[in-house]
Amino acid sequence: MSKTTALIFGFNKYALEIELNVKVKYDNIKIYSLNKQDIDNSEKNVEYFDLNDEWSSIENCIDMENSIAFCALEDSAENIFLTISLRAHFKELIIIAIASNKESANKLTMAGANKVIPLVETTADIIANVLEKPISNKVLHNILYEESALKVEQVKIANEEYFENASVSDIDWSGYNGIIILSVMKEDMSHEFIYASKLKNHIIKNGDILVVVGFETDIEEFKNIIGSN
Amino acid sequence: MFKHLILDAAYFLQTSKSYQANKHFFYNLLENDKYRYKKYVDILMILLIFISVCVLIREVKFHVNDYLLYFSNYVISIIFFVEYMLRLWVSSSVSKIIVSRSEHDSFLSRDINLLSTFREILSIKFKYILSVRTIIDFIAILPFFHELRLLRILILFRVFKLFRYAKSFQTLAGLLTTKKFEFLTLGIFASVVIFVSSVLIYVMEANNPDSPIDTLFEALYWSIVTISTVGYGDITPTTTEGRLVSMLVIITGVVVLAFTTSLVVSAFTEKLDEIKEVKNIEDIAKLKDYYLVCGYDSIAKEVTRKLSQSVHNIIVLDDDLARVQSARRDGLIAMSYSPGSVETYKKLNIDIKKQVKAILCLREDDIENVYTALTVRSLDKDIFILSLLMKDSNRKKLEFAGINNIVYPQELIGLITKELVGQPAAFEVIHQLRSEYTNVDIDEIIVTTRIIHNYPTVGSLTNKRFKVIVLGLFKGGSDKFYFNPIDSTLLENGDYILAVGYKVFVKEFEKSLHKKVVNV
Repeated sequence: MSKTTALIFGFNKYALEIELNVKVKYDNIKIYSLNKQDIDNSEKNVEYFDLNDEWSSIENCIDMENSIAFCALEDSAENIFLTISLRAHFKELIIIAIASNKESANKLTMAGANKVIPLVETTADIIANVLEKPISNKVLHNILYEESALKVEQVKIANEEYFENASVSDIDWSGYNGIIILSVMKEDMSHEFIYASKLKNHIIKNGDILVVVGFETDIEEFKNIIGSN
Repeated sequence: MFKHLILDAAYFLQTSKSYQANKHFFYNLLENDKYRYKKYVDILMILLIFISVCVLIREVKFHVNDYLLYFSNYVISIIFFVEYMLRLWVSSSVSKIIVSRSEHDSFLSRDINLLSTFREILSIKFKYILSVRTIIDFIAILPFFHELRLLRILILFRVFKLFRYAKSFQTLAGLLTTKKFEFLTLGIFASVVIFVSSVLIYVMEANNPDSPIDTLFEALYWSIVTISTVGYGDITPTTTEGRLVSMLVIITGVVVLAFTTSLVVSAFTEKLDEIKEVKNIEDIAKLKDYYLVCGYDSIAKEVTRKLSQSVHNIIVLDDDLARVQSARRDGLIAMSYSPGSVETYKKLNIDIKKQVKAILCLREDDIENVYTALTVRSLDKDIFILSLLMKDSNRKKLEFAGINNIVYPQELIGLITKELVGQPAAFEVIHQLRSEYTNVDIDEIIVTTRIIHNYPTVGSLTNKRFKVIVLGLFKGGSDKFYFNPIDSTLLENGDYILAVGYKVFVKEFEKSLHKKVVNV
């Protein structure tokens, strides 16, 4: 997902929150609104678009191959229509869509979104975790979102020799070099829990991605060993 | 002198803690439905009533054991008498009336008028004595004088005492009284028809030698049997005029019966919600350790669905009837009361400290959530409150209202998106640990003395055997999380082990921790 441009469709509280969080990762951020008034009233550089299936104006000024789209329109039906329209025109475009609920999420997936964030379910997940598993929730939240010494990272294997052709089940992953390895993402992008039976005979190869949790220094050291750096 | 004596006695009783405590205890035991021990007294009384009736039935044709007879006639009667006197005692406070009358009179600078005070006391007590329930209680004592054969039949009146103890009878009586006017009208109508038809059939049939109706009583009996549509057939009119009257009475009988049935049904229908609500309030009073969800919007719906998968109970409060009905359709106990009103918690007998695990303000409206949080905080300072935040500008207001945990969906979406575009695989893994839809789970296992006895250190844990990763140890004492602790780390009572693995294996691992280790 090393893209350079983020296209955010929708000019609302969710779109602005997305912009705030992803602006450090992209060189260019474009916000599009269905409402012409937003363009005049906003201090931000908001551009107008409509759902007429006419993408040439955007296509002309943006390198779509190096872009990622966020569909965050408030109206579920419009958001689904936008997603399907984008997918129809740009087969390779990565589309992340916001859904109000599980039903819309399913439709957005069917419409071609690569990743859907169901708002209600995600919020409910967090609330249920806060109540039922407060400690793990706090730890995972800190690892993921806060400035904590503990990090979760993807480490790409570039030095397969280090593992000496060992299969995943042969390696003792517990407390591996001070870090904990949670899962393996194979070359085909499917990821499995480290103890999954599907990985039993999987020989670790270059290109596999390990999802690791650990302190920053330990992760860096691990990266040096397996050649990811 | 006498006045002073009476006043002193009244003041003494009013200020005596032990006297008031005893009176309060007996009041609770006999009259307070919310008192936990009242139901045992009620059950005992119901049992005594059934024993009396059983003895009465047995006695008709068989000899009953003398001890049982003695128990039924004397012991039960004495128990009922004691109960009667206690009820009379707790029904009103004589000392209170005297004291308040004395204070009233002294305020008006005059001596207390004992005569009018006693008159007031007698009037209050007689009002109680002459109430239907108290009369039934009194009749239930009369079989004590069982030598008077007629009084023995009064044992049956003890059955009416069931009205006092069985709540369903009270509910039924309450329902029927709501239609008092309709029943009275119908009763008068039926009485008039019975009277007119009795006289008519008597006039038509009495002089006919073939007719079985000879007296007005027989005419009345026939009329009641016919109007009730029972129709035994032992007395039938023989003249054409008499049969015409019969037809009229039969038609009227059908109408009266239909009206009576519809009245009872409509009384039930009208009060059904109320009955259900009373039942729900009683059920809520029995629950413990539940989540109180204030507001039932879309997020609340999803949260309750997730929480209901665990063992905890959930109560939903919402002032919008449509949302309450939606919660009920989802199988939850939901009450149509405003969660922002102190009165709600009083009406529902919710003891936040003892019964509620956490308050969830899940209205998608910051104003409502702040209002609810402040109400709850005014009732309990320590209860954990979680609230949704819809506008970041209101965050401080929610914090000021004493909310412990604020969930801001917009912020979540932003953070998730950030992580999703930065490290999608890492995000997916953590997301899977949190989600209910995957097999992999993160679990918090509390360390008990038994676990420490079996596994004193992190290194001695058998997590590898169960393919479970120990992500870390949360030390309850120091409130610190130790990631990937070294093997020699000691486990302490109250620590939490954060275990990651397949749900089934994590459960197995947790079970294994409690099993005794056998050293071979």
